[in-house]
Amino acid sequence: MSTSGDGAVAYLRVVETDAYADWESVYRDNVGRLYRLMYSRVGNRPDAEDLTSEVFRTALRPLRLGSSKGEVRAYLLTTAQTVLASHWRRHLGLSVTSIDPDTDSAYLVEPSGSDPPSTAPSRTSKILTSLPDRYRRILELRFLEACSIKEAARTMDVSVSNAKVLQHRALRMAAKVGEELEQ
Amino acid sequence: MTKRRLDAYIDALADGKRPDPFDADPEDVDVLRTAITLRSARPGDGVPDDGFVDQLYEELADQADPRTVPIGRPGKVRRRRTAIAAIAAGLVLVGGTAAVTEAVGQGAVSPAAVPAPHGSSLRTGTFETTDGRVMGQIVVSRGSPSWVFLNVGGANYTGTIVCKLQVADGSTVATGAFVLHGGNGVLSKTIQVDVGRLRGAKLVTPSGAVVASATFA
Repeated sequence: MSTSGDGAVAYLRVVETDAYADWESVYRDNVGRLYRLMYSRVGNRPDAEDLTSEVFRTALRPLRLGSSKGEVRAYLLTTAQTVLASHWRRHLGLSVTSIDPDTDSAYLVEPSGSDPPSTAPSRTSKILTSLPDRYRRILELRFLEACSIKEAARTMDVSVSNAKVLQHRALRMAAKVGEELEQ
Repeated sequence: MTKRRLDAYIDALADGKRPDPFDADPEDVDVLRTAITLRSARPGDGVPDDGFVDQLYEELADQADPRTVPIGRPGKVRRRRTAIAAIAAGLVLVGGTAAVTEAVGQGAVSPAAVPAPHGSSLRTGTFETTDGRVMGQIVVSRGSPSWVFLNVGGANYTGTIVCKLQVADGSTVATGAFVLHGGNGVLSKTIQVDVGRLRGAKLVTPSGAVVASATFA
């Protein structure tokens, strides 16, 4: 602990004394959380699985097991950051989402409760409530309720091509709403 | 052309498929990011599939250096799963914790002629809701591999649920996801944790809400 001269501010450093016993513990403790982080960044299971696999294949071999859990997780996050950036470069030629080891560390920290750190549900709710009814409904059906485009069209009593147009326009508007929420 | 490929990418996301790569325009980024955010909010998919977790574990075990890394490999997990699940069916699913312990002591619980786990290698708990209502049982069995078996009945919930085992050091191991139909469901699965270090278990929804918890005796 140290104190600054004028403000008498105390700085405490959290010291993690625990460490993982073996790579298996590293894997079991982090695979679910790392997958969830990747899933929130790519939005589909196959890519999230591939990226999670790549992180572990890359990170585990040179891992020093004497490091603290916090250090191991920071290392996993940094590896995940690189793996995700490379994924977007290969697949779309530009970055769509990213991982910041500082701000995303909550994904891998020891859970104090069972609430997932993902902001997707609350953000999605805010976006959807800002949309006109039909735009909101097509996005709910397609993205949250797992309806095919045909099922969504039938539910909304429109043609399949109309449903596609609705989905396209609704996403454009949702993206604008999302931008405004960030500002 | 790019718009068509963008739409195809988004349709694949919505349909839960792997999207095909394409050269995106910078102006597409916000739409893509929004689609990913919406898709990530779908309940249940943020939990890794059991098969994926086991398969990756086995791949990593194969590439691990045995000289420096102690490994408790699960071995032929999948081949043994059916037989041990049969034990679980006999052990766990209806009778409750006391009945489970008693049945194991009598050694007459295996419908598949597979030796039942010895009583001392079992730990049991009862799932209770926050208002104290009994909602199911859980049994963990030490072995090579170790197993967890649980049943849930009468929950006010239908959908995917995740079992999280709590270790004595405070860490949590997500054991597996399963589906409750009409409030009922079962799970049997290998686990790679020391059964003796387990403290309890929680059942949580994909959104993180705790449905019930159990403390191991």
